[in-house]
Amino acid sequence: MHEELTALAERLAALGEQPAPPPQDAVNEAMIRNWRQALGDTRDWGEEAPPAMAQVWSMPGLVSRKEPSAADDILQTLNANGYTGVVATNCEHTYDQPVRVGERLRSTARFGSLVGPKQTGMGLGYFVTWYQTWYVGEERVAEMLFRVLKFQPVKRRPKGKPSAPAIGLDTEFFWEGAREGELRVQKCGECGELRHPPGPMCPACNSTKRDHITASGRGTVYSYVVHHHPPVPGRTPPYVVALVELEEGPRIIGNVLGAEPSEVSVGMPVELTFEKVDDEVTLPQWRPAGRPAPEPKAVPERVSDWPSSEIPLTPTFIISTAIATRDFTPVHHDVALARAQGSKDIFLNILTTMGLVQRYVLEHNPDAVLAGMKVRLGAPAYAGDALVLTGTREGDTVTVRGTVSLGDHVNATVTLR
Amino acid sequence: MSGSSDRTLSGKTAIAGIGATEFSKESGRSELQLASEAVLGAIRDAGLAPGDVDGLVTFSADVNTEIAVARETGIGELRFFSRVEYGGGAACGTVAHAAMAVATGQADAVVCYRAFNERSGHRFGQATASTRGATSQGLEFSWHLPYGLSTPAAWVAMCARRYLHKYGATSEDFGRVAVAMRRHAATNPAAWFYERPITLEEHQDSRWIVDPLHLLDCCQESDGGVAILVTSAERARDLPNRPAVIASAAQGAARDQYMMFGYYGADDLTELPAMGVVGERLWRDSGLGPADVQTAILYDHFTPFVLYQLEELGFCGRGEARDFLAGGGIEIDGRLPVNPHGGQLGEAYIHGMNGITEAVRQIRGTAANQVADVANVLVTAGTGVPTSGLVLSAG
Repeated sequence: MHEELTALAERLAALGEQPAPPPQDAVNEAMIRNWRQALGDTRDWGEEAPPAMAQVWSMPGLVSRKEPSAADDILQTLNANGYTGVVATNCEHTYDQPVRVGERLRSTARFGSLVGPKQTGMGLGYFVTWYQTWYVGEERVAEMLFRVLKFQPVKRRPKGKPSAPAIGLDTEFFWEGAREGELRVQKCGECGELRHPPGPMCPACNSTKRDHITASGRGTVYSYVVHHHPPVPGRTPPYVVALVELEEGPRIIGNVLGAEPSEVSVGMPVELTFEKVDDEVTLPQWRPAGRPAPEPKAVPERVSDWPSSEIPLTPTFIISTAIATRDFTPVHHDVALARAQGSKDIFLNILTTMGLVQRYVLEHNPDAVLAGMKVRLGAPAYAGDALVLTGTREGDTVTVRGTVSLGDHVNATVTLR
Repeated sequence: MSGSSDRTLSGKTAIAGIGATEFSKESGRSELQLASEAVLGAIRDAGLAPGDVDGLVTFSADVNTEIAVARETGIGELRFFSRVEYGGGAACGTVAHAAMAVATGQADAVVCYRAFNERSGHRFGQATASTRGATSQGLEFSWHLPYGLSTPAAWVAMCARRYLHKYGATSEDFGRVAVAMRRHAATNPAAWFYERPITLEEHQDSRWIVDPLHLLDCCQESDGGVAILVTSAERARDLPNRPAVIASAAQGAARDQYMMFGYYGADDLTELPAMGVVGERLWRDSGLGPADVQTAILYDHFTPFVLYQLEELGFCGRGEARDFLAGGGIEIDGRLPVNPHGGQLGEAYIHGMNGITEAVRQIRGTAANQVADVANVLVTAGTGVPTSGLVLSAG
């Protein structure tokens, strides 16, 4: 398949620039106003169109069938060979000339390159790059590079949460404790015998008077296994299940988190941590002693020379900016469809991200003229989240970073004239 | 038999008939049909008719009720029926129940059966996802399943790691069990792995299921049915086959026993205390010892517990099973030929019941891999759970 793809890429590249469908409208005040209102762009553009709108003029709008892009043949071949996942990774704009109200644009498309296969965080994949160029007459006014990663989705199976524990009258104190961040070990109210798993009657003195202690959270691995097969709900193999001997004596089962299976050994000291499964169930878990808890990927500190700008991503914002950029793809306005395609919610479209980066740069440099923007795309910006933009200028280069709760949504390099 | 007390079961009953379906990965028929075929097979093998049987015993885990099997086979009226708990630990327990019923006059002829589509239907090897409620057993599972400790292989592997750690044993020591079982199965036409032996290298190269267990440390998943007919020793002597007299039969659960989760007791995960309870009774009631059995059927759902059983039942000292194995001790011509039929690793996994029929064939002298001069055979049932065992003797 690789040879077939490479040959196809060579053929497409040899075609060079091909005419793309002409924009339906001339550059006009109404679309610019909608765009500015939706994105919150307060700059007075006079007769000029905001350069980040370049692609907006060529968007097909609400149509049932999109015209094929310059990379369509490659993308379909990749689909047919199991590279069914797609994620946009880069978008780069070059602005040659301002575009003015009343001008009619013409556009061409050309295939760029195919690079791969490469092992990526998403799975094995190919990077596919293509270009779109805009002209007024024979004069080139803007060009865009667009790059996607087509990947073989990593089989994440089976889906779902870990098995829920059954909780009864004799065990509910344990699970209550776990929710509150305590590991509770049953202690006989008469003879003081410690016991795990707990039960209604003390096997040592037959008392039904029950109490518990809160364990110190220190223990050692008494035994462990590394699970490889078969698939287990809520656990990604290979994972470690350990029998931990508590400092207080009793043994308890848990996973060792934050360590490679090869790092785990019998006798290894471990410390308590917790895995919150849902509102009802929190599991006491373990990590190598003296090692920080495996936190969810922390958002790195935002370093900025410019004050940050926070944009709340309300559903209205996401939908209206998608429409104002003439992007009618359902994942930007229909929650159910977005979820059906594996997203958490509707999310910001790329044309809006480009526009917001432009807006942020111009808010801090009102007189600047943009020569181009190179954008690396990261975590999706979902409805309900907030996009925080920060920036640093060095000479004619501005670095803009946009973060959301999941991490970096966008890293942009903006070149000024 | 030297069982001295009047209150012993020893020598009073015998296995007079055995029946089985073929062993496959997809039987293509219902579990009730498999059970009925096996039961009818055992009755005919004993030279009896369905109307001669008045008792049925099976596993709690079996989906075929005694009354359904009685209806299908035309057994008619039942005077005794019971079920034995704890998965494969029930196997020899069914025969113990049948023997007790016959010895006390509750029934004249009792058939024990187990039948399932364990490969083409519900597979035990898949992850157990649900604890099925806050029953005592559901609560036991709840300390384990949420952490993905969800398969029998994983439950056994937790103990096996400790055995390796304590005795400096290696995966190859476990592998020698698998190699021996496949070698035996290779010359048993009834075995799924007939003519398909493996090497120790193949065992080592097989993929991890739950480290420290490789794929080839795990028994098969099989479809099939097996049945065993128990009647009085006296009557058995008048029937066509040489009786396999039940010299002793025992069930056992240990202190602090769990279903497959023997992690919380006083021992250090390198023993099988429930099998210790069974073994003690088997040797005591039969008046025999490890040196008196010519072959043993040891439950082999996973290789490590074969080593544990050799130690627990007194065939070698603690931690010495690997030397026993390395010296060829469990081969057909070894000190203690183990599972001449190939066991559950090689023949089929019918929850231990196919091992009982092999013990009967060894007594009769009709086994595919016949051990010479068999007078007494030890049989064990599922390990890691409350379990059971038998000593069968030529009579």
